[in-house]
Amino acid sequence: MTNEPQAPAGAVQLSEEAISHIDALYRMALRLTGNAPDAEDLVQETYLRAFRSLHQFRPGTNLRAWLFRILMNAFINEYRRQSRRPANTSLEDLDEFSLYHQMLESDFQPSVAQPEQEVLARLSEESVLEALDELPVEFRQVVLLADVEGFSYKEIAEVLRIPIGTVMSRLHRGRRRLQRLLAPCLCQSPSLCHGQ
Amino acid sequence: MLNCNEVAERLYSYLDRELSPEEMAAVQRHLDACPPCRRWFVFEENMLRYVGECARRVRAPDELTERIRELRQS
Ligand SMILES: [Zn+2]
Repeated sequence: MTNEPQAPAGAVQLSEEAISHIDALYRMALRLTGNAPDAEDLVQETYLRAFRSLHQFRPGTNLRAWLFRILMNAFINEYRRQSRRPANTSLEDLDEFSLYHQMLESDFQPSVAQPEQEVLARLSEESVLEALDELPVEFRQVVLLADVEGFSYKEIAEVLRIPIGTVMSRLHRGRRRLQRLLAPCLCQSPSLCHGQ
Repeated sequence: MLNCNEVAERLYSYLDRELSPEEMAAVQRHLDACPPCRRWFVFEENMLRYVGECARRVRAPDELTERIRELRQS
C-alpha cells in the first residue's frame, strides 16, 4: 500500500465507463467536424472536460447523454465559429421530400418483389455518410443522436438544450432532407432523378 | 380509426416509439388494415435502420483511446 492520494474507486470506475463510450463519441465527432484530426481533437477535448467535471456527474443519471452534451458544447465552442452555415429555414417544401413516394410515382421497376429492399440495396454506405455530412449541422445533430445513437426525444432535448418540439421538427426535416440527398444515388432509375 | 393522413403525421413518432401506448396501438391498427401505409412505414423503418448501421461502423482509432487513458491518469 502506498500513501499516494488516489482517486476514489467510484471515480476510476466512472472514468472507465466514460471511456467505454469512445466509439460513439468519435463517430459523432467525425460526422460533425468532417475530418479525422478534428474529430480526434474534439473527442480529446470532450474527455478533458468530462474528467475535470466528473465529480459533478450525478451517479444514476445518464452518463452517455452527459458525455454527448459535453461533446456538443465543445463542438459549438470550438468549431461552430469557423463553419457557420445556418440551416435554411425558408425552403419548407424541400423538407417534405419522400423517397418512397417518389419511387412509387416514378417508373422505377424493381427487379424483386420488395421495391423498398431494392432501394436500400442500391444505397452504398459511402453515399449515406456523404448525405449525412451534407445536412445542415442543426439537422445533422438530431438525426445522428436519434438514428445512430438511439437517444429518445427527451434525451436529445437535454443534450442539445432545445425544446422537444424543436427536436421533433428538426428530426422530421433532417430525415426528409437526407432522403432528398440520397435520391440521386438511385440514378440507375433515371426517372427517380427527375427534378433533382 | 385513424385515417391515412393522421397516420402519416405520426410516422416518425410511431417509428421512434414516442407515442402513448394508446396512440401506438391506434397506428398499429391502421397499419394492419392498410397495406399501402404499412409498406411505406416498413420502408421508412428500414431506411432509418440502414442509416444508423452505416454510421455505426465507424470506430475510434486505438491510439486515440490510448491517449484518452493517459489523459485520465495525468
Ligand atoms: Zn393508410
